Amino acid sequence: MRSSEDPTQPIPIAAPQPRVDVDDLLIRVGRGDEQAFTALYDQVSARVFGLIKRVLRDPAQAEEVAQEVMVDVWRTAARFDRTKGSATAWVFTIAHRRAVDRVRSEQAGADRVRRVAARSAETPFDDVVETATARIEQQQVRRCLGGLTDLQREAITLAYYGGRSYREVAEMLDTALPTIKTRMRDGLIRMRDCLGVTV
Amino acid sequence: MAETVDIHALAGAYALDAVDDLERAAFDRHLRSCESCALEVAELKATVAWLTHPVAEPAPAGLRAAVLAEVARTPQERAKRSASSTPSTVPNRWRRWTAAAVAASILGVGVGAGTWTISEQRLKAERVANAQFQSVLSAPDARLVKGQMAGGEVSLVVSPSRDAAVVVLSGLSAPPPDHVYQLWMVGGGYQTPHPVDDLGFGKGDGRQYIDGLNGATRFAVSDEDHEGATAPHTPLVGYIDLP
Repeated sequence: MRSSEDPTQPIPIAAPQPRVDVDDLLIRVGRGDEQAFTALYDQVSARVFGLIKRVLRDPAQAEEVAQEVMVDVWRTAARFDRTKGSATAWVFTIAHRRAVDRVRSEQAGADRVRRVAARSAETPFDDVVETATARIEQQQVRRCLGGLTDLQREAITLAYYGGRSYREVAEMLDTALPTIKTRMRDGLIRMRDCLGVTV
Repeated sequence: MAETVDIHALAGAYALDAVDDLERAAFDRHLRSCESCALEVAELKATVAWLTHPVAEPAPAGLRAAVLAEVARTPQERAKRSASSTPSTVPNRWRRWTAAAVAASILGVGVGAGTWTISEQRLKAERVANAQFQSVLSAPDARLVKGQMAGGEVSLVVSPSRDAAVVVLSGLSAPPPDHVYQLWMVGGGYQTPHPVDDLGFGKGDGRQYIDGLNGATRFAVSDEDHEGATAPHTPLVGYIDLP
């Protein structure tokens, strides 16, 4: 899985990033700017929809939840505080929370147990690799995920793409809770450094 | 037995949205008083945002029009968080505050301290209870009532729609080692005070899920010299009228 290059180092070719400042867009949305909202939608909708679909594994429901999320973004945009994080992180936090809420509300009782068991056999990372295209961000994420230990990677992908709590992840991976918490954190720190994330 | 957990240990799970509502509320609370934690969490959340790239796929064509149409007729929340916030935000803010208050009681979060102490064992044992607690805390009709007794504080979150309540007792002066604080629901459909549970011998802190409200109008605590009392010893330690 690892390539010979050091996966923890930032990719040498700087990614061309003709990016709109999503932070600015969201701030304008917070002031009621519908045009900014449309631009924001075009910037984030694929990632919002893709994330929700990944967690729910149901395109029809994912569309429904994505709509709720985007309207929620519009409605509550004034709450966004740039000093506390990026606009994309803010939007995806709402999306992830909504998706997980939907999963949880559906998985009551025994059905949940069955589905947890069924899902635990899956390996989200392989799916991720499959769907990844040639886009530079995707390549970078893949490369940086590849630079993690297996446990770090599994803990992170099961939690995020599987919508699992760290307790569920600990059980699924048969690993102690403190270990899982630590692996999530140090795995993300390694990802952060690999991706060169700053705020 | 209790392990001391550096709050940073939870930063990754928090950034991944892999904590439960109580932990999130407690962590949020801590973040407000810890700048370096807030910076790390912001970075980790930004890192997590990258994880959306590999799963991105074009949203269905109809979604854009549907969202824009709904947005055009949806009013926004006011920017300032003030007492006069829009009605739609009240239940959310209420719940958040309630969850934060209860979480702080339960988890024993030291506000402003760099670390918090959680017994992993205890948390694990309380997972089922947490699910019950969350069902009450997240109910749209959840109401919080608070009262003082025996030098401590009692918080009740009551949800008629869930027909349940959560009570958290903290800092009550402990009864003698051979005494227990017994909890009661009183009035409404109960002809006589209905025993809920007790806090255990010699304990002045605890929390309970109360299954079934039966229209009770009052929550009471009594000091008993044995477990399983069928009628409360008086005078009561204290009581709180329910909404």
